[in-house]
Amino acid sequence: MDGSKLLISAINAKVSGQTLILHPARAAYWLEKSTLLVADLHLGKEAHFRKQGLAIPDSGMLANLANINRLLKAFQPRSVVFLGDLFHSSYNRSWEQFGDLLKGYAATDFHLVSGNHDILAEEHYIRAGMKVHPKALHWQPFLFTHKPQSHIDHGLYNLSGHIHPGVFLKGKGRQSVKLPCFWLGQNQGIMPAFGKFTGLAIVKPKSNDQVFVVLKDRVVGV
Amino acid sequence: MATKQEIQAKAQQWFDQKGWKPFPFQKETWRAYLNNKNGILNAPTGSGKTYALALPILLTHFESGANREKSGLQALWISPIRALTKEIQSAVNKAAQDLEVPWEIAIRTGDTPAKQKKQQQQSWPEFLITTPESLHLMLAQKNYSRTFRNLKAVVVDEWHELCGSKRGVQVELALSRLKAVSSKLRIWGISATIGNMQETAQVLLGADYSSADVSEIRADLKKDIEVITLLPDTIEKFPWAGHLGIKLLYKVAPVLQSSKSTLLFTNTRSQAEIWYQQIIDRIPELMGQIAVHHGSIDGKTRAWVEQALHSGILKVVVCTSSLDLGVDFRPVETVIQVGGPKGVNRFMQRAGRSRHQPGTTSRIYFVPTHSLELLEGAALRLAIKEGVLEHRQPYVRSFDVLIQYLVTLAVSEGFDRSQVYQQIKKTYSYRSLTIEEWDQVLDFLVTGGPALNAYDEYKKVLVKDGLFRVESRRIALRHRLSIGTIVGDPVMEVRFVSGGRLGTIEESFVSKLKPGETFWFSGRNLQLYRIKDMKVLVRRSKSTKGMIPAWMGGRMPLSSQLAKVLKRKLDEASEGGSKESELAKIDPLIALQQARSRVPRKDQLLIEAIKSREGYHIFVFPFQGRFVHEGMANLMAYRLSLVKPMSFSIAMSDYGFELLSDQPIPFDKHTVGTLFSPEHLLRDIQTSMNLTEMARRKFREIATIAGLVFKGYPNKPHPQKHLQSSTQLLFEVFQDYHPDNILLKQAFQEVMDFQLEEQRLRQALEQIVGQEIIITQPQKFTPFAFPILVDRLREKISYEKLEDRIKKMALQLEKV
Repeated sequence: MDGSKLLISAINAKVSGQTLILHPARAAYWLEKSTLLVADLHLGKEAHFRKQGLAIPDSGMLANLANINRLLKAFQPRSVVFLGDLFHSSYNRSWEQFGDLLKGYAATDFHLVSGNHDILAEEHYIRAGMKVHPKALHWQPFLFTHKPQSHIDHGLYNLSGHIHPGVFLKGKGRQSVKLPCFWLGQNQGIMPAFGKFTGLAIVKPKSNDQVFVVLKDRVVGV
Repeated sequence: MATKQEIQAKAQQWFDQKGWKPFPFQKETWRAYLNNKNGILNAPTGSGKTYALALPILLTHFESGANREKSGLQALWISPIRALTKEIQSAVNKAAQDLEVPWEIAIRTGDTPAKQKKQQQQSWPEFLITTPESLHLMLAQKNYSRTFRNLKAVVVDEWHELCGSKRGVQVELALSRLKAVSSKLRIWGISATIGNMQETAQVLLGADYSSADVSEIRADLKKDIEVITLLPDTIEKFPWAGHLGIKLLYKVAPVLQSSKSTLLFTNTRSQAEIWYQQIIDRIPELMGQIAVHHGSIDGKTRAWVEQALHSGILKVVVCTSSLDLGVDFRPVETVIQVGGPKGVNRFMQRAGRSRHQPGTTSRIYFVPTHSLELLEGAALRLAIKEGVLEHRQPYVRSFDVLIQYLVTLAVSEGFDRSQVYQQIKKTYSYRSLTIEEWDQVLDFLVTGGPALNAYDEYKKVLVKDGLFRVESRRIALRHRLSIGTIVGDPVMEVRFVSGGRLGTIEESFVSKLKPGETFWFSGRNLQLYRIKDMKVLVRRSKSTKGMIPAWMGGRMPLSSQLAKVLKRKLDEASEGGSKESELAKIDPLIALQQARSRVPRKDQLLIEAIKSREGYHIFVFPFQGRFVHEGMANLMAYRLSLVKPMSFSIAMSDYGFELLSDQPIPFDKHTVGTLFSPEHLLRDIQTSMNLTEMARRKFREIATIAGLVFKGYPNKPHPQKHLQSSTQLLFEVFQDYHPDNILLKQAFQEVMDFQLEEQRLRQALEQIVGQEIIITQPQKFTPFAFPILVDRLREKISYEKLEDRIKKMALQLEKV
């Protein structure tokens, strides 16, 4: 999928008066601030598993990197915020491939809100030119965190990742399907996991929540 | 030096001393063995088959002038089950002592302590009882060619059981090597009666022997089997699947109470747990005299149960196929089979557990789990009478097992490209292996093949001085830990908090439990304390409620042989007026089926189309077994989708299958024929998308056996979730980058051969061509349709765009 197609297949959502463009590549673009939002990339998972004798090739990671690259090309964002669990485990070679990719976008600044998986030493982030925010990043009206916050101050909208949300849809003839989703509530939104093969946690939204499921090449409101 | 005659006389004398009389088949086997024949001995359990072969093997000690020095490993006895090895050891030991054969008779399996294994390696016992896996582990040791140099005999016990599995292929491969290492090898298989015994003999022996050197000896111990179906007083016209026959417990209870010892066979482990609970509930005085025995229960407990049944402590053992085998398992008074056994061989073998002595009648009670199964009782009786037997389909061209074997050789002494090729070409399994395929296998070992050659982790074997070898100690260690072909469903060990192993349950079941919740296992009510290090820690609970673990798999399809007999019985039932008890009983059900729809005759295929609140159903009743029905359902779904894109939910039983859709299903009596046409079968099956899904599931086992994923060290296993996702990823990588990969192709082939049973499916479709197709539109669900309708184990298949499908669906919201 090239960048222009990505734009066509995306869908706009409004939260707290801001526009989020939701992408089938499981990322969101905050239009007003030209900021790309990505949660739960879990980079380096493959190499980490390989070290333990689980023979996984890199194709999943390469696809993830290629998708990031396409998004960056298509939007040319001013900033990118990773909402945690960017790197799966301790340092391995995959980090360098990621770093090389980021170097190609000198005009963009990269931020990471640390997640439970992000345990790399600081130097690696510095080398990649990434600013790390240990707990949260507050860009009004958004409070970006990794884990969804249980308490949210008035006037803030908490956008997070961590849970890899998916929903269950049911129809006649015993038809049903589970799909990853963007789950946007009143003052809290949760992003789907960006990384491939990261699993799904089925959530049950409230009736006035906005839910957008991610299909192969499109995002659909349900 | 003793002559053959003198040796045979010794065997006879020993029998005389014991006050036994050898059966003709035993004498015949002694003679054949001493004449250097190889072969198959067809003898049932408990007939004295062990002594038919163990005696002449022991007595060959005197052939070469009995000296008292250690002579190295002389004989291997391969058993499929560790638990059986002790019985064999004590039987052979007894004979060896009496006959003054100074051999050490030892066991070497996964249960043998490391220290003992070391001792064996320093001075090999003459007679070693082992399993296919442990044999391969021996081939993974340096110096194996010295170990086996003097080997003279290999006996493969329960060959019928091994032959239809990848463990059988392991045996074939090991034998191909042993033949090369030892020049004087005699190979014998012991097999229960099956339909294709000659073929299985070929599988065992390979292409090395002329037919003159091969004997086939049949024990021919006639045994009458009486089948008694326990009939319900009133028949349910809507036979629920899943009642598990518990409703008939009131009929089973008196049988249990009046019998000194009973084996009650169920088809699945969950059923065994349920029956155990229910029996205790109903007959509390059996407490302490009843136990449950199945493959997930800890080995020590199982051994105790077997012992306790022999010694009379236990009166009733509820069991699964875990007690199908057994060397000299003493007979019990009564055998009960709950639910259709799906095959004649299995049923007869179980029946044979009662009143073991040859020449006596074996009696087996059959407990149908739903009304339609009454037909199976009648069919089994007829099948036994007519001597109908099933075949064991051997695995061929299993590249995963071959790859594992080659790494085994590379880990120990290394192997030569053309020498090993010649050896495996003589096996049954790999006789069609081409040199190109062979090169692909070797390339895979050395480079990882085109899809994986970028990663060092896959480059396991290197070529040095013309030999393929593994030099990395880590690869060698991981390989030794991974030898074997049994890839079970992911399980976790169950332990008491206070210590003590109970057995294993499936990870998927554990994930549904929360700490504090109770479940039934191993006949106990247990409370989950917590999960730690892949172990399920539990405490005893006094609760009487709790879930029963579900174990995947184990649902065998109705065999085609039994299916045929079943259809004849259905014909009889539909004619009415039969005096056979089962058929008379089922009469009201047949009448209702006839009133609402039709009862198909042998030469008819019945299709019922019904509209309900759920959507549009069609039920088809070919009576061909669930695997064939799975294939037919997929084929039909695909062909219907060519008319218009649709989504289906599919359910099947051994009698028929259902397609359920949210839209009307476009077919009528003019077009229905094309839906079942055998024409373009292969093409249509291959394009139906479920095939890839099925192959993906098979691939998990294949990738594990071939060593692409490492299950982890014994004390630190990898979570199954990770193993699963990594094999899935590999599957996709091969599909994208190397569609010709031999392991990928194997996955598809196994789906065709063993899951869809392509041959059987084709035959079934060809049969339908000659049949009259009857379409009915009942107002209400029929007795035939009901058990399928309520089956919740369903498959989904869709030819619609996901986008279109979700438009018709509703989001599942939080309940307010």
